[in-house]
Amino acid sequence: MINGWELVIGIEIHAQVKSKSKLFSSSSTEFGSGPNSQVSLVDAAMPGMLPVINKFCVEQAVRSGIGLNAKINNKSIFDRKNYFYQDLPQGYQISQFKDPIVGNGFIEIVSEGQSKKIGIERLHLEQDAGKSLHDQDPNLTFVDLNRSGIALMEIVSMPDMKSPDEAVEYVKKVRSILRYLDTCDGNMEQGSLRADVNVSVNKPGDDLGTRCEIKNLNSFKYIHSAIIYEAKRQIKLIESGENIIQETRLYNIDSGETRSMRSKEDAHDYRYFPDPDLLPLILEDDWVKKIRSSIPELPDQKKERFIREYSLSEYDSSVIVSDKSTSDYYEKVVKDRNPKLVTTWVTSELFSVLNKKNLSIDESPISPNHLGELIDNIDSGKISSRQAKDIFEEMCETGESANNIINEKGLSQISDEGELEKLVDNVISSNPENVEKYKNGKDKLFGFFVGEAMKLSKGKANPKVLNELLKSKLNT
Amino acid sequence: MEFDKDGLYKLGKLSKIQIDESKLKSLSSDLGSIIEFIDRLKSIDTENVDPTSNSLDQSLVMRDDIASDVNSANEILENAPQKELDFFSVPKVIE
Repeated sequence: MINGWELVIGIEIHAQVKSKSKLFSSSSTEFGSGPNSQVSLVDAAMPGMLPVINKFCVEQAVRSGIGLNAKINNKSIFDRKNYFYQDLPQGYQISQFKDPIVGNGFIEIVSEGQSKKIGIERLHLEQDAGKSLHDQDPNLTFVDLNRSGIALMEIVSMPDMKSPDEAVEYVKKVRSILRYLDTCDGNMEQGSLRADVNVSVNKPGDDLGTRCEIKNLNSFKYIHSAIIYEAKRQIKLIESGENIIQETRLYNIDSGETRSMRSKEDAHDYRYFPDPDLLPLILEDDWVKKIRSSIPELPDQKKERFIREYSLSEYDSSVIVSDKSTSDYYEKVVKDRNPKLVTTWVTSELFSVLNKKNLSIDESPISPNHLGELIDNIDSGKISSRQAKDIFEEMCETGESANNIINEKGLSQISDEGELEKLVDNVISSNPENVEKYKNGKDKLFGFFVGEAMKLSKGKANPKVLNELLKSKLNT
Repeated sequence: MEFDKDGLYKLGKLSKIQIDESKLKSLSSDLGSIIEFIDRLKSIDTENVDPTSNSLDQSLVMRDDIASDVNSANEILENAPQKELDFFSVPKVIE
């Protein structure tokens, strides 16, 4: 709700299939190659070329559909979506219109502590377009067709989201599911996953307002701020007596504003018709069944299992499972170890280092084995948590293992009572005045004795044993 | 039947074809009779017929996901009327 207006949001996600070759041709899909180096005669729409569908891409669409709890359609049809643009050599995009490969489904999101079901209308396969560069020459637009023909899954939601937060949670969840399924790498910066967001506003109880579509948002931050800007723009227009025109808009990441895309004015007349080059796609039940049985554990199931097996809190569990690599890392460390310690070390120490260095968990300077070894040393009492933090920092810098650092620096904790007793006696005999004061009721001095003893041990004394020893010596 | 003028202009715009004022009349009657001809299909009773997208009763044949470098940038750009570096170049498109 913004100033008494309700928001209605629907999202189309374009997710690039993680395939080696394109949807209808054998050109490579590798990112970052030289311009027009991965373009076949099919992609360039040379006369007489015929599309042949990539089986792997079909399989990934089915996998994704299953992950979105959706109906898999045994028969689907490819259509031509006709429009004219310089990065679309065919003059049409091969897409699916009336009969998509995947039908109705849903996912669960959690937004502001509330869980909510978001409907999926469909998922269909389609070709990506090429890329236009407008800023290389004052009078020309440059076209690179490397991306042309790469397989996309377009995932269309129901207009079930009511706030920018819900919209962001929805995209995060879909991304997470696709990454678990390994059907899309989810890399938003490289454009492997991008969202078109439909926004409209209405007063509670009124009919839905006219919607505008904001194209090509490729970060969670942009999705959030584009929705807020667009909703406010529409509210302002309506409140000043004007009408909303249904249109396609672009979000400007520098100004944070949206503006109309004039090129799309006639775009709504796509003149779809079944592509005569492509027969209907028929999926055998057995094949779909086989795919279904190969679906891995998905984030929701993993979250429940982590809560059950490792007694994680709801929050910690959802943070850890939201990214597949993070949950894999966690699980490697937690195996046969104290889950509570592992959770703390992963969610606070490790995450803060990764954040600070802007690294993903796959680039973590500390391997799961090394972190596990450090935690073993804490758990066995060999080092204190204080020492562990220093060792952890050094591990980040040098990539050394915990055991090596501990041995090299002689850092292991002193827990031996005999050895600690000598230290305690030493502290007591060299501070008679403070001992006197303490015995006369100045309890606060206890901390002083702990500090002195620690100093003598060069920080290696086991604090628990030390405290007990000091207490018994001072109180007699 | 005549194809109406606005429809004709819209079709021209979508197809990127400029329609000459002097051809308007003959075009609209030509297109009109084509549509009239196609419209005869409407008289067929299709009540119990499934929508047909292809007249062959077969499924798509699928290929394996193998990337092969079949063309180089040079070959693809050979047919381009205009190119810069390794890009196709076209008159500036303002978005």
